[in-house]
Amino acid sequence: MKDRSAPSALAAVRFDPGDRPESLRNLTGATKYLDDLPEPANLLHAAVVPSPSGHGRRMRVDASKARELDPSVVVLLAASIPGENQMGTAVDDEPLLADGEWHYAGQPVALVLASSKRLARAAAALVRVTGEELPVVTDPREAFARGELILKPRVQSSGDLAGAFRAEAEGGKARWIVEGRAESDGQEHVYLETQGAIAEPVDGGLRVVSGTQAPSGVQKAVARVLGVPMRELEVEAMRLGGAFGGKEDQAAPWAALAALGAYVTGRPVKLVLSRRDDMRMTGKRHPYSTDFRLALDAEGNFLGLELDFYQNAGAACDLSPAIIARSLYHAAGAYRIPAVRAAGYMCRTNLPPFTAFRGFGAPQAIWAMEAAVSKAAEATGIPALELQRRNLLREGDLTHYGMKMEDCRAGRPFELLLSRNPAARLEAEIEDFNASHADRKRGSWVIPLAFGVSFTKLMMNQGGALVHVFSDGSVSVSTGAVEMGQGVGRKVLVVAARTLGIPEDLVRIERTRTATVANTMPTAASTGSDINGAAALAACEEIRKRLLAFAATFLGAPDNELSLGNGLVLRGGRDSGLAWKDLVAKAHEARVDLSAHGFYATPGLSYDMQAERGSPFAYHVYGAALVVAELDTLRGSSRIVRADLVHDGGVPIDALVDRGQIEGAFAQGLGWAILEDLVYGKDGKLLSDTLSTYKLPDMRFMDFPIDIELLDDAANPKAVLGSKAVGEPPFQYGIAGYFAVLEALKAARPGKAGFFDLPLTQEKALDFLDGGN
Amino acid sequence: MLKSLRFRLNGKLVEIEGREEQPVLDWLREEAGLTGTREGCREGDCGACLALLGRRNLEGTGIEWVSAATCLLALGELDGRALVTVEGLAGEGPTPVMKALHVENASQCGFCSPGVAVALSHFLLAEGPRDEAAAVASVEGNLCRCTGYASIGRAARALSSDFSGLPLDFPTRLAALAARGVIPPALAATMQDLPEPASAGGPGGSPPLGGSPPLGGSPPLGGGTDWYVRNTDPAPGLSPRFVGRDPELRFIETRGSGEGATVALGAGVTVADFFASKAVRAIAPGIERFEVLVASPHIRARATLAGNVANASPVADLTAMLLALDARLVLSGASGARELPLADFFLGYKKTALDGDAIIETILLPAAPRAFSFEKAARRERLDIAAVNTALSLAVDSGGAMRGVIVSAGGVGPVPLRLRKAAAALEGRKPSVAAFREAMLAARDEVAPISDVRGSAEFRKRVLGRLLAAHALRLFPGAFTAEELLA
Ligand SMILES: Cc1cc2nc3c(=O)[nH]c(=O)nc-3n(C[C@H](O)[C@H](O)[C@H](O)COP(=O)(O)OP(=O)(O)OC[C@H]3O[C@@H](n4cnc5c(N)ncnc54)[C@H](O)[C@@H]3O)c2cc1C
Ligand code: FES
Ligand code: FES
Repeated sequence: MKDRSAPSALAAVRFDPGDRPESLRNLTGATKYLDDLPEPANLLHAAVVPSPSGHGRRMRVDASKARELDPSVVVLLAASIPGENQMGTAVDDEPLLADGEWHYAGQPVALVLASSKRLARAAAALVRVTGEELPVVTDPREAFARGELILKPRVQSSGDLAGAFRAEAEGGKARWIVEGRAESDGQEHVYLETQGAIAEPVDGGLRVVSGTQAPSGVQKAVARVLGVPMRELEVEAMRLGGAFGGKEDQAAPWAALAALGAYVTGRPVKLVLSRRDDMRMTGKRHPYSTDFRLALDAEGNFLGLELDFYQNAGAACDLSPAIIARSLYHAAGAYRIPAVRAAGYMCRTNLPPFTAFRGFGAPQAIWAMEAAVSKAAEATGIPALELQRRNLLREGDLTHYGMKMEDCRAGRPFELLLSRNPAARLEAEIEDFNASHADRKRGSWVIPLAFGVSFTKLMMNQGGALVHVFSDGSVSVSTGAVEMGQGVGRKVLVVAARTLGIPEDLVRIERTRTATVANTMPTAASTGSDINGAAALAACEEIRKRLLAFAATFLGAPDNELSLGNGLVLRGGRDSGLAWKDLVAKAHEARVDLSAHGFYATPGLSYDMQAERGSPFAYHVYGAALVVAELDTLRGSSRIVRADLVHDGGVPIDALVDRGQIEGAFAQGLGWAILEDLVYGKDGKLLSDTLSTYKLPDMRFMDFPIDIELLDDAANPKAVLGSKAVGEPPFQYGIAGYFAVLEALKAARPGKAGFFDLPLTQEKALDFLDGGN
Repeated sequence: MLKSLRFRLNGKLVEIEGREEQPVLDWLREEAGLTGTREGCREGDCGACLALLGRRNLEGTGIEWVSAATCLLALGELDGRALVTVEGLAGEGPTPVMKALHVENASQCGFCSPGVAVALSHFLLAEGPRDEAAAVASVEGNLCRCTGYASIGRAARALSSDFSGLPLDFPTRLAALAARGVIPPALAATMQDLPEPASAGGPGGSPPLGGSPPLGGSPPLGGGTDWYVRNTDPAPGLSPRFVGRDPELRFIETRGSGEGATVALGAGVTVADFFASKAVRAIAPGIERFEVLVASPHIRARATLAGNVANASPVADLTAMLLALDARLVLSGASGARELPLADFFLGYKKTALDGDAIIETILLPAAPRAFSFEKAARRERLDIAAVNTALSLAVDSGGAMRGVIVSAGGVGPVPLRLRKAAAALEGRKPSVAAFREAMLAARDEVAPISDVRGSAEFRKRVLGRLLAAHALRLFPGAFTAEELLA
């Protein structure tokens, strides 16, 4: 095992202590989040009344007790909405406030406004919602059987499927056909800052501060609900206390409710969800139930793959179609498979609408594919590593949706990982341990990664930026990107400083406001810095061009000899004697425009929805991860003992930010795979609705050596400054945790077939250890 | 209800009329304007709301500083005490603790960061080991959804080596920390003593303003770590009885001698006090190793043993331990005091022998040493409530037979149980595979678990058997194998 203190590529990277002032503001408690803003004197606090059960109609709302508690309490219902009572973006199936019927437990029914948070919550608890109960469906396959589908199924297929599955006996090449079912549960985001919004009447319109990844989305949703033009609403996002996709679409209802309250009362309204309300009322990662079928030839080459994804979409459409699309695209994982059929069914159930969460449908698909690999290794006797290596995507391969893999790097990280952990040594490491420990068993798994980057919805791949250079030479950059800890602000700042050739401390990244940069897309799909960085780059380049043209006249030098760097105008790479600040001041005097708007639309994307063919991604992110787990065979509990990750990060704009993203995503992935247990009752009520019942990774869970190596020589021509997106891809490394524990279980029960029911909890482990063969 | 309160906040004396039942978190954020202390869960699970609380130590010889979840801390608890928030720590700029986190990029969204900084500052301030493991363990009560903890762990380890030579005794250590800027010197100068409480009668003893009796009732509160989870927004008018902060009730003493000697633990004794106690460790050697399985450092510093018992949760860990240690309770109220075995205290789900205004005043443990083991099955190894827990204690006589066997189990019935049949299967026998297998079978028979969010009934039965096997393996190492016990 590797010594923890041994240096690995990233272990030694440190921030300069003077750098990144926002991190020091966080640590000293100075950072303000939405709920930390000073409250106006006439502020009303809001609380939401949820539906009483999983499904019902003929709803009656009795607020008399709430008003008795305090006559000043205001209770708003669907009828109070001046515009459309609708939140749905893809499909109009999601009322802001339930009206007559309700479709999941925790669906907002009423908004309660009062002079204090305590009073608002107490009053909300006194509002009685009753009605006629209807049957509750929580299982996606049951919903499917009842024909409860959101939109029609999507199917991608390629190659000769029937031929691929033709057995050797029938003259085909398929030596083995493995099939099975892979279940994966949902996952709660647990952004540490719960959902919230503040709406305040300003100059005849409303100013909304929203804890959202999508300020423009919130602006649009609020405009629709209030029936006012978007120009009357300014939406601002401050720094978010985490989001992970949970505040992409699902921040909008809370902003709309706060806006509704402010609109009706004419007073500022703040709505911040309690943790429990947040957990009960918002959607999470989609649970999937997936059938898989994989054909292999005698050498272990993958011939054909069939995957049927029964996506538990919850009670409304939300982002499910975009998410199922990403599942389909990632059906084959990092593997080349000549014939594929992948089908996705968005099944409507009586659970909160499931939504975006880091990975966005890809983890569920990659998990199911990896289950097929695990089963294939069992059936063929060929080690999984061998199967994976043999079938990894290669340069020029065509995916099942017809995208040609260019600059394909699936093999490089995989081989590098194995050179760091040679298969024979890994095997010996595990076997020696297992032979010498009676009550503990270890298992390991390697997972390869190919993750497509771009919004799966094509039109969303666009973004804007507004850059002002002030007359003193300092710079303000606004983009549509929302900072939520992922470091997008930092990356945009580096892009701007490098492009203008100035020190970083001259640049300020502004909060995200809809009146500054309009019609922005959510900061999501890992594209935050790709798109917003590129838009900022365009704006900075425009300003640079103007300034250099001015400098050329001023210095009497040809402008192709001039450049900006080190806070100076450089001539032939050397100090021209004109400093940045003087350049700016003089250009300003000479009436040069020091502001520019930049726009970026990711080039090269195309997709034909009819044919299910095209190139939906700008590029892929590659990697490979090794996870070693240890099982306590007596208690059935397990823990991860080490991990080694090799990641293709392009040329990181900030390696430390990327390391943080990789470590954080990996922890979330492991949490999803072996720890976090989202439990709904048959009645559709969330049972794990607090942090005392929903357990996510903590320090102890993650306290094992993790080595991370970034692929070198990895510049990516498809994104800003040669970088690659980093937010979501490393999440998938956590999936290896499931299989590492499963391998340990199989070591404890040699010969017993594995099972695919994520998360792999102690209870399931004991079922396996105690159960028959 | 409204009370006069006097305490020190970030070094400055505060005298207010405050709602004693209000969580300190709300007061800090809404009234004191200190928003660096944040709400992530309001139930003690995330650590975003941590602050340092200065209070009298167990021995009454000086002051101790603990890190406390302010979402579970009543404002009334501050009377005569001191509180330091992240703003106080950072009063003169980022401290070495904050810088250590900063250079590792251990703050991403930053929402958890002040809590992490407070926990690590407390690690340096507190007594106890200062090795890497202890540094890392000090943030076991802090959730962070962004970083994956690797960077926080690196920062914690760096701090443990940077500060390895800190002096042991509190005043010198405090001075050293002040000199190095971990605590601003001006603040540190105020951290060696406590202000006088506003109420002459001591904390909780002050007469209500206006003299009317409390409207909302007067529940006894130990640390409030159970009570506030169930009462997240207590109504104004409530006037808790702060049992946990009565210095008269926070004691651990040995009473009597010889056979009948007992160790008496007052109602104010915290979970941390319990595991640190020499007297307790003498009864159950090695019991301290189980401390980390209970809650988190900042909960253990405030949660009381009596509260753990009185709360009557079927999965209370300390209760399972106390049952196996043959504890007795002294209940006392206006109508006098009475003593009863802990096992008789639980009458039904969340129903106890407490009545009227009675409180658990003292917990008594027989002082004779016994072999002791505790096991807990929970989803997460640290800071999680048990699905099932169990403790076992016994003595081995000169002939090698097990005597006075007590087996307890939680999470397998409506109340914490003593498994009498399982114990009987072991009593008087030499440790053997057969004896323990019989005990495991007997245990299965005498429990009737239900299914809930923490596990199914079948799982609970199954895991209980395995945890009993784990007791056997721990208490008699090498005597048998897991395989034999589970066969
Ligand atoms: C995050 C978190 C993690 C936790 N983890 C664990 C764990 O791992 N294991 C575990 O066992 N528990 C755990 N708990 C529960 C809790 O911390 C313990 O039960 C604790 O010992 C309760 O003590 P307390 O003094 O805080 O009780 P309080 O909340 O003060 O009181 C609990 C109840 O007992 C009553 N009461 C208090 N003192 C007395 C008295 N002297 N006489 C009569 N009645 C009294 C109160 O009125 C109240 O009803 C956890 C709690 C939290 C918030
Ligand atoms: S708010 Fe989470 S521990 Fe207090
Ligand atoms: S940095 Fe976001 S929760 Fe810790």
